[in-house]
Amino acid sequence: MIAISGVTKTFQRRGGGTHLAIDSIDLQVAEGEFVSILGPSGCGKSTLLYIVGGFVPPSRGSITVSGRPVTGPGPDRGPVFQEFALFPWKTVLGNVAYGLREAGMRKREAERQAEALIARVGLKGYESFYPKELSGGMKQRVAIARTLAYNPAILLMDEPFGALDAHTRVRLQNELLELWERDRKTVLFVTHAVDEAVFLSDRVVVMSRQPGRIKAIVDIDLPRPRHRDELLLQSRYQHLVIELERMIEDPPEEIRP
Amino acid sequence: MTAAALATRTRATLLPGLPPLLACLALLLAWQLYARTLSMGGIPDALSTIRELPAILGDRESLADILDSIRRMAIGFAIALAFSVPLGLFMGRSRTVAAMVNPLLMITYPVPKAALMPIIMLWFGVGDASKLLVIVLGVSLPVIYHAYQGARAVEEKMLWSARAMGMSGPARLARIVLPASLPEILVGCRTGIVLALITMITSEMIARQTGAGNILFNALDMAQYETVYAMILVISALGIVLDMLFEYVRGLLTGWAEPRHDLLAPSL
Repeated sequence: MIAISGVTKTFQRRGGGTHLAIDSIDLQVAEGEFVSILGPSGCGKSTLLYIVGGFVPPSRGSITVSGRPVTGPGPDRGPVFQEFALFPWKTVLGNVAYGLREAGMRKREAERQAEALIARVGLKGYESFYPKELSGGMKQRVAIARTLAYNPAILLMDEPFGALDAHTRVRLQNELLELWERDRKTVLFVTHAVDEAVFLSDRVVVMSRQPGRIKAIVDIDLPRPRHRDELLLQSRYQHLVIELERMIEDPPEEIRP
Repeated sequence: MTAAALATRTRATLLPGLPPLLACLALLLAWQLYARTLSMGGIPDALSTIRELPAILGDRESLADILDSIRRMAIGFAIALAFSVPLGLFMGRSRTVAAMVNPLLMITYPVPKAALMPIIMLWFGVGDASKLLVIVLGVSLPVIYHAYQGARAVEEKMLWSARAMGMSGPARLARIVLPASLPEILVGCRTGIVLALITMITSEMIARQTGAGNILFNALDMAQYETVYAMILVISALGIVLDMLFEYVRGLLTGWAEPRHDLLAPSL
């Protein structure tokens, strides 16, 4: 489904010089697979996601999605950002219906589908609210619904729950799993939270920092459907969390020129 | 909501117009006392100035002059908006455009636009064209600047979300960048309205033919001080009314940008 081969990204630094953000990334993601990219901040995991999304061009290497090379963004890959990035001048309904209207759907039909999705993410009754009037968790539900609305084959999630409080994060993780179990989209999920990666994913890609490289790929062989309360008691889950936590533990900060 | 916050809000909504009204009355009172104590011919007191108002507003010719001013101001403002907003948005989204236009703005910003009036009159005469041009110059700079700042500050991820939906570059400028920068653009417009008023009056001071400024400065020349001060009142009132109208329109256009505390959603 997604084939990343030899992707390298260097940024031009202000005042000359270059910064190697990610180096020679090779990764295959199968259709319907939930893959997390886990790493400390500054490891280039978000950059990798933006490259797959077509928002940022790679310096070297190539990406194909269903065999077609990625040259820019497209509705086959739907992003969900930590910053929500909702359109603040649109209501919840207007936001969720936006992609459908953009694809040329008639207003009434787009709104009917948007209403169904809003209900699916638990926001029935909030259709006429503006983003400003919503809490962080509600905003992210709207953002997820907005992306799901145009039915992308792949979801690209960039630390989607990173800006939320612990309680809301857990709720949204559960809801994301429920949504995913229903239509099993391919998901590429960037996070720095180990437990989140283990709870959600089929595979976890661990990245190291400076430059961002793949350190290890860990299969999460926990049965599905997963329930948080049961999972927390399982020793297999606990082992995976500890194993991954050790892996992303950084060596002492090195001072680099 | 706490009881104290509720009480403050209730008081504020009960008498929203009272504080500014009190301030105006206090100013008029101070004026009245000051003019009476000095009793100089050049400073009429507040009462006789106000008594002069019906004479101006009732006079067909004066009224036509004032309406003519407003007409010019509206046209100048509209022309300025029509090119300043797109230009500012382009600058905000393209470094090349910004790098080309910015030096020009830097040069023109500190120049008092009314000071250009004599030169402009040499090119376009004393008619509408010169006065309109001065108003356009005055309004366009703050609007360009704020549209530029607004467009520059548009969240990248918002634009990416639109790109992922398949929206093209020009469509994003019109349908994402424009609405997202609208609150900032309106800040520029508000400054623009004030500047339109100022440039309108000063242009009429220099090229006297018609207009509110014409009445004011002719009266000054003829030492009709009641009329001078009454016209200043009329112009101030015009400024207040325009600003109130503008705030109303702003509320309609960008209500979404303000957090609405009256609708407290239960936190999920």
